[in-house]
Amino acid sequence: MKVLVTGAGGFLGVHVVERLLARGHRDLRCFLRDRGKVERLLGLSQSYPGSQLELCYGNLRSKSDCARAVTDIPLIIHLAAGLKGAPAELFADSVVASRNLLEALEERNDLSMRQTRVVLVSSFGVYGVVALGRGARIDERTPLEDHPELRDTYSYSKLMQEKLFWDYQRKVGFELVVLRPGVIYGPGGGAFSNRVGLQIGPVFFHLGGSNLLPLSYVVNCAEAIAIAAEHPNSVGQVYNVHDDDLPTASRYLREYKRHVRRIRTIRLPHFVTRMLAQLLEAYHRRSRGQLPAIITLYKAAAAWGGNKFDNAKLHALGWRQLVATSDAMAETFDYLRRKDGKQC
Amino acid sequence: MSLKIAIVGCGKIADAHVEEIRKIPAVELCAVCDLEPVMAEQLAVRFSVSRWYSDLAKMLDVEKPDVLHITTPPQSHLPITIQAVAAGCHIFLEKPVAPCYLDAEAIIGAAVVAGKKLTVNYWPRFEAPALELGRLYEGGVLGAPVHVESYTGYDLKGEFGMAFRRDPEHWVHRLRGKLFHNMLDHVLNKITPFLEDDKPFIHAIAYRADSGPVEASSGDILDELRVVIRGAKTSAYATFCAHARPVGQTLRVYGTKNTADVDYMARTVVLERKQAFPSALGRLFPPFLMAKDYLRQGLKNVNSFSHASFHYFDGMRRLLEEFYLSIEKDLAPPIAYSEILRVSAMMDRIFEQVYPEAHG
Repeated sequence: MKVLVTGAGGFLGVHVVERLLARGHRDLRCFLRDRGKVERLLGLSQSYPGSQLELCYGNLRSKSDCARAVTDIPLIIHLAAGLKGAPAELFADSVVASRNLLEALEERNDLSMRQTRVVLVSSFGVYGVVALGRGARIDERTPLEDHPELRDTYSYSKLMQEKLFWDYQRKVGFELVVLRPGVIYGPGGGAFSNRVGLQIGPVFFHLGGSNLLPLSYVVNCAEAIAIAAEHPNSVGQVYNVHDDDLPTASRYLREYKRHVRRIRTIRLPHFVTRMLAQLLEAYHRRSRGQLPAIITLYKAAAAWGGNKFDNAKLHALGWRQLVATSDAMAETFDYLRRKDGKQC
Repeated sequence: MSLKIAIVGCGKIADAHVEEIRKIPAVELCAVCDLEPVMAEQLAVRFSVSRWYSDLAKMLDVEKPDVLHITTPPQSHLPITIQAVAAGCHIFLEKPVAPCYLDAEAIIGAAVVAGKKLTVNYWPRFEAPALELGRLYEGGVLGAPVHVESYTGYDLKGEFGMAFRRDPEHWVHRLRGKLFHNMLDHVLNKITPFLEDDKPFIHAIAYRADSGPVEASSGDILDELRVVIRGAKTSAYATFCAHARPVGQTLRVYGTKNTADVDYMARTVVLERKQAFPSALGRLFPPFLMAKDYLRQGLKNVNSFSHASFHYFDGMRRLLEEFYLSIEKDLAPPIAYSEILRVSAMMDRIFEQVYPEAHG
């Protein structure tokens, strides 16, 4: 069965391709935007003899590129999304691109919809955690965000993207599987999620305190995606994706400082963060946006609400954490030391 | 003032338009529109705009806005302007005005024939230091302009830079002057108040200095531009630079009496004065006089900040206020049409030289 992986050249994409190959898939179409990101895919192709990696370059904002991407494909793993940049870019790269892909799928006539499975990689950001109160447990039954526009543009774009997929699934009838990873990390990724804190000028404000970090090591996350893509019982289901032995934000920061580099940090207790958020919000309103409202009460509750997490449903599908968190953090910090350490 | 405002084109720059419109009391942003419904919806939801459309004709018909902000790619500016002025709208146009001079002329012509006002978002011209420079010039402090140097920096790895580098179908790639075309209005419109020639001598060179990884389609994009301009009385250098840091935006006006240095990012205007003292004394005082200017400007900026008028696009807010006032009081628009056309004409001639293949 030929598999399409969109965003195949990205941080997560390369690992998803690797896990698919490791699990015996040999015929893959790797859709990627930047030609500069092809080297690691070519390396994988050599590591798995007999594999056929069809490199398909394009941009999902283009309807014709989408049509090319989905032709003859019974299994689509959609990873491509906007991660940073101006809000308009995030929506164009996540939502408009997804809509184009779904339209191309709807319009093709080589395979029936019943023969087609789509796996969407969504995000924890779609959950409406603010209404739940501090310390609430997040699982797949947690309601979706009512006010994503109050949170952050990334979460808003991912929620709009996921809703779009469910709408098309109902309309067109393909099999849909949705995975919602927490914070994906690993070599090639960034150092800090907002859940740990925010870098403002030369100081890192540690806002996550002793909250659990819903980390998902990129290899473990890729494995979860590959399993969910194959499993017969995953159709129509949603899966939270995070590792088992989750560290706290303060442990992550402490180990970063020990293994990567010293950084100036100020730890703010949650009540101080909330007070600061109130002040910033009030100033943002009064000054009509002279300083951005980087922390608001809503964002503080969403990012630093001390939630608990549950990946039991993913386990029930047969997923096991391939790389232990201690090893995963060691590999990540080793990469960051080589990358960030050079800048010191 | 109780104008109804609408926006067509919900890309990156539309955020800035919404934010600045909302700072002006007594005007109402009634709706936004984009051919792509997702883009219209996200802008409307993020900024609590009550209605959004994906059909411009419908928006114009239902909302009947007094002013339409056109923030679509420049290739669409002419047809949208014609449609909007026919529907009774005044036009606030995002730069670049048009793909070429002839389109710019047709855009302005359409507004004039319909009896509607039009202006272009030359917002740096309305920043506080630019206005102070204008006062110095009008007050005769600089004397007659001899030479002008306009410099604009650019970050290819910034939000805007990455957007067109990653997308081979981005509208910037279809412009005659490509990346320069999207930025040159802001370089040249700072020169035109001091250089009034319709057809100055222009010599332009451009090259690609980016040696980093080539994204999907940035391989043929030139990213450094130097232009020498000579009019009857004044000469100028226009520089677009994507590699020098910090990414600056400056203007230096050499006058027959004094020279002024404007920094649009730091928001300062500093005067380099003619020596008043002889010999070594004449070289002793200037740094202190300039330091005094910097201190004065710094305090002014602190004052602006404390009064919440130190926003990045403060110049756009000022320009909008003037434009809306010109509509209400039936005054001339804040930027003369002749100046918009002179900028367009200069851009055409620069692109003919740096991208000759695009001009056949």
